[in-house]
Amino acid sequence: MSFLLPCPHCGPRSVYEFRFGGEVTQQPPIDAPETAWIDYRFNRANIAGVQKEWWFHRSGCGQWIQAVRNTISNEVLESFLPEETGR
Amino acid sequence: MKFFFQRKPVEATPGDTIASALYRDGRRIFSRSFKYHRPRGLLCVSGNCPNCMMNVDGVPNVRTCVTPVREGMSVKSQNAFPSLETDFLSATQCFDRLMPVGWYYKTFTHPAMWHAAEPIIRKAAGLGEILPTRPAEYEHEWIHTDAAIIGGGWAGIHAALTMAEHGDAIVLVDDQTALGGQLRYGKSTDAVPADAIAKLQGAANVRILQDSSCFGMYEGNLLGILQRNPHSDANERLVHLRAKRVVVATGTFETPILFPNNDLPGVMLSTGVRRLLHLHGIVPGRRAVVLGGGAVAEEIASELRAAGVEIAAVVEPREVVSARGSAQVKGIQTSNGNFTCDLIVICGPHVPNAGLVAQAGGKLEWNNDRGAFLPADLPPNVSVAGDAAGEMLPNALPPLSTHKRAFVCLCSDVSCKDLCDGIAEGFDQIETLKRYTTATMGPCQGRMCQLSAIGICAHDTGRTVAETGVTTSRPPNPSVTLGALAGPSHHPTRFTPMHSSHQRMGAVWMDMGGWKRSRYYKRHEAATESESVLLEHKSVRETVGIIDVSTLGKLDVRGRDASRLLDLVYTHRFSELRVNQVRYALMCDSGGIILDDGTISRLAEDRYFVTTTSGNLDFVHQWLQWQLVGKQWDVHICNVTAGYGAMNLAGPKSRDVLAQLADCDLSSTAFPYMACREAKISECHALLLRIGFVGETGWEIHCPAESAEGVWQRLLDAGKKFGIEAFGVEAQRLLRLEKRHVIVGVDTDALTNPYEAGLGWAVKLDKEDFVGKSLLAHAAKNQTREKLVGFILKEAGLPKDGAAIVMNGQPVGRVTSSRFSPIQNGAIGLAFVRASEAREGTSIQVRVDGKLTPATVTMRPFYDPEGLRLRQ
Repeated sequence: MSFLLPCPHCGPRSVYEFRFGGEVTQQPPIDAPETAWIDYRFNRANIAGVQKEWWFHRSGCGQWIQAVRNTISNEVLESFLPEETGR
Repeated sequence: MKFFFQRKPVEATPGDTIASALYRDGRRIFSRSFKYHRPRGLLCVSGNCPNCMMNVDGVPNVRTCVTPVREGMSVKSQNAFPSLETDFLSATQCFDRLMPVGWYYKTFTHPAMWHAAEPIIRKAAGLGEILPTRPAEYEHEWIHTDAAIIGGGWAGIHAALTMAEHGDAIVLVDDQTALGGQLRYGKSTDAVPADAIAKLQGAANVRILQDSSCFGMYEGNLLGILQRNPHSDANERLVHLRAKRVVVATGTFETPILFPNNDLPGVMLSTGVRRLLHLHGIVPGRRAVVLGGGAVAEEIASELRAAGVEIAAVVEPREVVSARGSAQVKGIQTSNGNFTCDLIVICGPHVPNAGLVAQAGGKLEWNNDRGAFLPADLPPNVSVAGDAAGEMLPNALPPLSTHKRAFVCLCSDVSCKDLCDGIAEGFDQIETLKRYTTATMGPCQGRMCQLSAIGICAHDTGRTVAETGVTTSRPPNPSVTLGALAGPSHHPTRFTPMHSSHQRMGAVWMDMGGWKRSRYYKRHEAATESESVLLEHKSVRETVGIIDVSTLGKLDVRGRDASRLLDLVYTHRFSELRVNQVRYALMCDSGGIILDDGTISRLAEDRYFVTTTSGNLDFVHQWLQWQLVGKQWDVHICNVTAGYGAMNLAGPKSRDVLAQLADCDLSSTAFPYMACREAKISECHALLLRIGFVGETGWEIHCPAESAEGVWQRLLDAGKKFGIEAFGVEAQRLLRLEKRHVIVGVDTDALTNPYEAGLGWAVKLDKEDFVGKSLLAHAAKNQTREKLVGFILKEAGLPKDGAAIVMNGQPVGRVTSSRFSPIQNGAIGLAFVRASEAREGTSIQVRVDGKLTPATVTMRPFYDPEGLRLRQ
């Protein structure tokens, strides 16, 4: 991995400046059955293709961002400040 | 200039490489081969083959043909004993029948045999030795540029000039010591475009990296560059070059042709001969035979004649029968007769040096007209210029051989016969043949042998070259020293504000999450670590002790929604915590698994002081930030870890010590257990938390880092009359273990929930919502799989972490921490056992030093189970 990840605050930076936070998932409602929470906690879609991800800019602005990345080519299609509350 | 070869001085002229100076000095054998220890001499003189590798100033496998001489450098031969001229191990050639291709797979069929043979083979075969010392200095540099041009020949120079005129920032990478590429060693040096080079050197937007090899192209147009001799204080520099566009102008390299004894010293590629002639002014032999046809062969023949070399013959490659000689070429047999000579010049096929293109995601496609694999399907932002594109190649594929002394791969002594044998054994795909025979896998990474190996594979299997395909060039190529990759050693270490005080008191250090902490203090009255620890332990239990806890993570959490955030991420309820109160804080993830613990003090309605474990601060801080993303909450988190020094003063006399310096009432009525106060200690602002990790009356004192050492020193002075001792992490671990306090990450792991760790009391399931609530509620309802219990060993001994817990011959758990406790006068510890065994008084067995030792389970603290002492 040596691609550049564009940080909405800091501009394009080496991916080594970031901590990977996993794919963006949707937290179940609090009263959802246990199985939904277990699925949320332990299972990942593990997409071979384009997915939305969390990244934390550790060696930069120190903020969480989201990026849309192709997991096969590591091409980052876009990155932005997270708006939604799902996590 | 003078340098030393095998400790003997050798003269060199300016511009000499090590190899050229040695060649001028009369040396013809430069190395011994990998397997058969055959003598090898200069072949490519361009840094492409393995034949001239030596140990230079302690660095093994240096290509001496491209390494400039430095005054006084020490050069030694490799893989030869006693000398390059006489190498006893060259006798291995006589036993080549016993060592066919893949012989160690076939011979050492039992692990024991291989283990016995491996050290001998390692010593006999192979390359240079790595010295344990660090002989050279290395550094790293990062460059971002508009365009990178790899190769300083005519194509690279022209590409650089064109792009520079557009105003782009350009880095030109050239692996030679001067720009010009093959023009530098052509018949006339006038061909070097001096004006263009001067223009480039004068351009502000062009940076030239000379004597620098691009060893790989990675994702995101990242180029790895190894720059040799960047300045007098560094031997090598690793450049991380990021370019928007990359122009590969790496030219071609010439490769050998196949005939018996084609590896003898004196068999040289025409480009190597030209470099000796024109770059170094060396006449490489007296009587030469040129292998090649047409104008190319005639040209090199006439250049040699002009230098005074007698040309015995110009021979078509297909007419060659064999080269003769033992330590050096003595002659050549051809179908047109035999010739005596001391130099055989090969005009071999030229191969585009396009490995970078393949690494960048492009393809190499066979072009029958050019006789070469040419770059195709270039990725965006990568282009190929000049000979590397292969447009000018006139290659006619050379004849093949099946002889056992016609070498394809010079790096690991793979002959034509070896490849044919490998194919016969079923490895008939080029990629499997490569792995089985190791052809193309040596230090030259297939530069010399790739085309020949593919040719033989195609011919032997009856396929075309295009069908056979090409092996993949992977970085690093050329090879990179590990030192350059590692770079300068920067290990930032964090010192607490009291560091020098610990140093003076004889601290023995341990590393913890980047910090240096005192493990224990060396003392006159304690001979060993355990004696020191027991002494520190005793002072805390009986009088007073003090420990530096500055490494605790500290977060200042403020805002109207601060309590809302803490209620969300911690399992306890902090909105109800009264101001000036402290509470244990436990953090779980959405699966109910313990992430971290610490304390939270409420300093004001909208202000909390949060501590985390030393190593987890960054994680916790990021976790809090992540929970806040997208929420429009009024809360600010500030990491104040380095801003505060912290110490824990504990023991029955701690109040007497602190009272001498603090300006607040320390009585248990005014300052009860689990309370916090802002106060002054010797005029210094401090935050006092009355908590008891070690189980005695005590205060955790946080004060600004700049005054922490002063406060620490004054507390030590004030404690002198009570016999205060500073204690380290080891004593603290013992003290907390006696109280059965859990350390997250030591006594818990990546699957532990609070109910298993005995921390269920800290989980408030009646809260409306918090991280992990759903699965914690589930865990609370159901029987846990295992539970953390205390145990007391009934016999002498000390179990190791992870030691097995056994009942009725069945494993039922594992030890998480254990120490010798003077309170119990024996080993105590924490262990995970099956939930059904987690009952007071259960008899278990613990594996100690291989022996099952009886122990008793306890669910209560080992020391002061009612917790009276810390409330006193």
